[in-house]
Amino acid sequence: MRRQLNAILAVAGKDWQLFFADKRAALLCFVVPIALASAFGLIFARPTDRTNAVQLPLLVVLDDAGPFTRAVAEDLVNGARVDAEIVTADEARRRVNDRQPGIAVVFPAGFETLASWKPGAAADKPTVRVLYNPLCHGESLWAEGVVSETVMRRLAKAHLAPFVGDAGLSLPFAVAGVEAVDGHHGFNAYSHSFSGMTLQYLLFWGMESGLLLLRDRQRSLWLRTRAAPVSLSSILLGKALSTAAIAFLQVLVTFAFGHLAFGVTVTGSFVGFLLLAVSVSALAAATGLLVAAVGGTEARARSVSILLILGVSMLGGLWLPSFVLPGWARDLALSLPTTWAMRGFDGVTWQGGGLWDSLTSTAAVVGFAALFLAVAVARLITSEARRRRGLA
Amino acid sequence: MPRSLALLLNDVSVRYGSTPALDAVSVEVRRGEIVGLLGPNGSGKSTTLAVAAGLLEPFAGTVTACGTRRADDPTAYAMHIGLVPQEPALYDELTAESNLTYFGRLYGLSGYDLRCRVGTVLERVRMDDRAGQRVGTLSGGLKQRLNLACALLHDPPLLLLDEPTAALDPASRDALFADLHRLRDAGHAVLLTTHHLDEAETGCDRIVVLDRGKVIASGKPSDLVRTSPTGRAVLYGQLRERLPLFFTRGLRKRLGPDVEVEVTGRRLRLAADTQEQLGHALALVLTDGIALDSYRTPPGRLETLLRHPAAVEPRREPCDAS
Repeated sequence: MRRQLNAILAVAGKDWQLFFADKRAALLCFVVPIALASAFGLIFARPTDRTNAVQLPLLVVLDDAGPFTRAVAEDLVNGARVDAEIVTADEARRRVNDRQPGIAVVFPAGFETLASWKPGAAADKPTVRVLYNPLCHGESLWAEGVVSETVMRRLAKAHLAPFVGDAGLSLPFAVAGVEAVDGHHGFNAYSHSFSGMTLQYLLFWGMESGLLLLRDRQRSLWLRTRAAPVSLSSILLGKALSTAAIAFLQVLVTFAFGHLAFGVTVTGSFVGFLLLAVSVSALAAATGLLVAAVGGTEARARSVSILLILGVSMLGGLWLPSFVLPGWARDLALSLPTTWAMRGFDGVTWQGGGLWDSLTSTAAVVGFAALFLAVAVARLITSEARRRRGLA
Repeated sequence: MPRSLALLLNDVSVRYGSTPALDAVSVEVRRGEIVGLLGPNGSGKSTTLAVAAGLLEPFAGTVTACGTRRADDPTAYAMHIGLVPQEPALYDELTAESNLTYFGRLYGLSGYDLRCRVGTVLERVRMDDRAGQRVGTLSGGLKQRLNLACALLHDPPLLLLDEPTAALDPASRDALFADLHRLRDAGHAVLLTTHHLDEAETGCDRIVVLDRGKVIASGKPSDLVRTSPTGRAVLYGQLRERLPLFFTRGLRKRLGPDVEVEVTGRRLRLAADTQEQLGHALALVLTDGIALDSYRTPPGRLETLLRHPAAVEPRREPCDAS
């Protein structure tokens, strides 16, 4: 038992030494996730203050020059919700095609008939067309809502002003946006990007570690190691321990940089954060062993691993929040460890989640890590036994 | 008084899938002797060594090191063995000392004991001044010596070396054999594989010749290389420098079909039907300006064994478990 423990620590210590033997490569392992997280944070950072909300760029085409239509257009141009500009139909088509901007609203000939519209009248309805670039489908729905509201306000004004005057035509209710997160201490996009990119890079680090093992198994070093009085399980555990330790260090360094440079803060349980960091480090180590166990050749393992890691990163919401994914993808993502890890990190960083809240995510990640580890160790032991019997 | 048995392979058979690799091979190695496994490529030398190192399980036969059967106690068995793989099994990124420390820990060494052992083996292979040097910066010869040092860390009675001189120049090869002879004199048993006759003849106390997975001969080199009246005249030479391929082709053409010419790296082998033909061939080589560091013409039966194994009846080595 003592000999095996000594061997586990020896393998882990040796891998730790190998990692830091190439100091530049080691430095890059810390710099790359930081650079990626900073870039993603910079790109996706949005002001959270609703009074400074982003205006939707919008083109307005008037095929009807009546006063009511023109008044609606001016409301859009002068309003705070959209950044509107009146253009001709040809220009609108050309600019929408070039996504400059990607949306145009066309008020058709005959739109002016709305000025004499009466509630309950069965007249033909004019159709307001929203032209949009296929890449701006979401924004077209936003434009549709704003235009509908503006027209209805103008109609209400036309019909009700004779009775109440201009002063009484404001909305009879108020709408207030409230961030529904307990203990929220200030979300910024960097919290999400640092969690996501750190997780993604840990998986890549796990993959690299697995590829190293795959390579080692083809070298004479493996013969010497296997000839030693040490069980295969001890060697694998030593490998896993060093991979996890380096992964844990990466989490700490990356988040420390995020905190100092971009104010990424653990607003929830710090113990919960540490437990999550340990569990995702274990996940990286188990992923590495899985790569070595089922990867086949190094080239094949690398290609398949990259594909899978990018896939689980995207579905798990490591790049963008998962709510932008379709429903089926969000359901599918629940079967991925990255989803749970991301939920956990979001919880303890900007959502202010407590230790108890983070334990669900931690348990899920630990479960996945244990599963990967069990499959990898079983597979490697079988493979080594076959090799020893001359069957592989 | 017979020296104690360090390794005994008794009727060992191995298959790779359905392909037989070893067929009832029996080999014994005693402490204080160097045994060479000799044979052409694919004869089963490395497989025999892998079985002895515990890396391959035979489907038949037994493997015993210093009285411990591998099947009974793999851990104790492994402690009796020091393996020196063909390629230096070292981490280039680490220093010589770090490599030794790591492999020492795998054999259960630690603390003061480990530090002492690392110092001792470095001294033993005359590398104590290279302890802090990165392995990647060492020459091939030094790497091979360090490779040997790693196998000596736990002071095993039996050393297994797989073609230890494959990538070495003559000086490094001589230095390595000098190390092995010292280890033998200190009581270690050494089993090595080679396909160079001269190495087996001059470096080993006993030779086991393998062909297609069977032992076809074994004994002292002096017995095996005794000149056979029916054998061909053969000369082994050590070239001062490598010959360009076109030069070798030209030489072969000039010597004609009655003389065999083989050039492997800086090794030269000439073979002819008679001593006279061989003498003429050597004269032609020297007049062509090809410089030889040394040459010898010893082999007889051993040459026949390696070149024409089919003419020799397989022979089994007697097993003695004492």
